[in-house]
Amino acid sequence: MEVSKDRKNTKRSDNVFSNRDNREGLRGWLNPTRYGWERVSYWFQRLTGVFLLVYFIGHVYETSSLINGQSAWNAMLELTQTPWGHMFLILVIGTSTFHSVNGIRLIFTHAGKGVGTPGRPDYPYDAASLNYRQKSGIWIALILAVAAMIYGANILFGTE
Amino acid sequence: MMIHESQIMKIHYITGIAAISVVAVHIIMRLLMPFSASLQYQNVIANYHYIPYALLLESILILIAIHGFNGLRVILLEFRQNRRWEEGVTIFTIAATIAVIAYGTRTILLASQAPIG
Repeated sequence: MEVSKDRKNTKRSDNVFSNRDNREGLRGWLNPTRYGWERVSYWFQRLTGVFLLVYFIGHVYETSSLINGQSAWNAMLELTQTPWGHMFLILVIGTSTFHSVNGIRLIFTHAGKGVGTPGRPDYPYDAASLNYRQKSGIWIALILAVAAMIYGANILFGTE
Repeated sequence: MMIHESQIMKIHYITGIAAISVVAVHIIMRLLMPFSASLQYQNVIANYHYIPYALLLESILILIAIHGFNGLRVILLEFRQNRRWEEGVTIFTIAATIAVIAYGTRTILLASQAPIG
């Protein structure tokens, strides 16, 4: 039973489950080059989520200037109601639209809707889950985000 | 009480969908008049005096704080998994959620009692 003996002598560090060489950390998380559309959408969902959380905290803080009276509120408006402030708001509109629409796609996907049915793996072994429904969902999220940004720009810069 | 990750994700999805609905109303309220006029101090304070709108703002605050910080928790748990990290991340996100809700609620309460003009 030579094989069993070899297995017994194998160090734990040689085991594939304890080999951490493939751990890339943040770099691996941010690197979409080796992946398809689903990976890019995964990346965008997380980046937009973190960005929107930071904006939300800033917005709660910004709004709290209300309780210090009209002059404090106007001083805050002078900081935020500028062309750059409006550009930032347009970015918030785009990211929130993408995050919302793509999030709805993910809810359906996690519920098993739109991921297709299991089939025989044939060359070139395309992922069955990344079908035209999923790709369309990602494209719809991107297109709606751009449309919302254009509408937002029209509101913000059109009333100046 | 132990909450399963699947239950937390259901809460994440429900708060996300609910937040889209209430934020849509919040944005529509900004568009009922010219955007710059809607941000004038008197108009904003008048919004806070209107109890249903103040309740809407409170619901936005709670829903987005829960959804946002739980999303951050999920991201941080994807980076690293061990008992100490997971407990630390969970405690941090719960504390941050409570702090943001408390700070925002204070603003809503005080602004709803502030004199208009």
